[in-house]
Amino acid sequence: MAIRDTLITGLTANLASSNVSVSSELPFNSGGEPLYIKNKKYVYIDQDNIDVTELYGTLDGNEIYETETTVTAYLTVDAKNQPSDIDTIVNTVVAERLGVSGPHIKECEVETEITLDYITYNFDYRFVTV
Amino acid sequence: MAVMNVTAGQKAVLTLGNTSVLAAPGASGGLEVPFMQDITVNASTGVVRYKTLDSSSEKAFTTPSTNQISLNCLVDEDVFFGAANTTNSIANDGLFGSQNSKSTVHFSVAFEGTTGGSTYLYGQGFLSGLAPTASQDAAVFITPVTIEVDGDLSKDTV
Repeated sequence: MAIRDTLITGLTANLASSNVSVSSELPFNSGGEPLYIKNKKYVYIDQDNIDVTELYGTLDGNEIYETETTVTAYLTVDAKNQPSDIDTIVNTVVAERLGVSGPHIKECEVETEITLDYITYNFDYRFVTV
Repeated sequence: MAVMNVTAGQKAVLTLGNTSVLAAPGASGGLEVPFMQDITVNASTGVVRYKTLDSSSEKAFTTPSTNQISLNCLVDEDVFFGAANTTNSIANDGLFGSQNSKSTVHFSVAFEGTTGGSTYLYGQGFLSGLAPTASQDAAVFITPVTIEVDGDLSKDTV
């Protein structure tokens, strides 16, 4: 199961009573605009990006690899009138990283970007497994 | 003439046993240490230098070698803690158990693999220097291993 699917399942449940919803669609462009800008107050989660690198090289050829998976989630809301529970929503999206089992490193970085009258939250998840 | 290239894997092979027969490269029942990252054979002699009144340069003579095998490897559970083995007590006790019991360990270091004609060094000594460590950034146990060689290092071919 892709990490994206786990995040969608978890966030759908945990944001059910909030002022935003979770879309299962990828954040593709529609009419020249990403869906997360077109459909505000919807969390969109991009596809898993996977990077496998050698953690340890060994003389007998049994290398140990680590897999880093990065996933980005997007949420756009009105910058002037943000949902009253936006802080809770952001915290919930960030905390959802802990619902992914397996990785020993589970990180999430939030960046915001204001364009015109809306604000976009970018959630950059990073998971590392050996 | 050719360099000894180890990139093909299974070239630099350390084999351990409680007898020299078991410790020979490729020996049935020998304990091949897996996941080695590097291995160093240290066979340096000591040197005593002295001056004489009739020479403008120092003179020297060598003293007996301090022989040592040192390596770093990822920790394999069976190799580190031992796995049931009725013929090879080093494999049975594992690296930790053999160091703890201060057992004599016979070893061989194959430079070019375990196939016929390959050159290797062998000897006997004691395991030392185990210090397994792991961290969140490199979440696999890794440990240095030292074999303090008791006596000579000898050369042979498989």
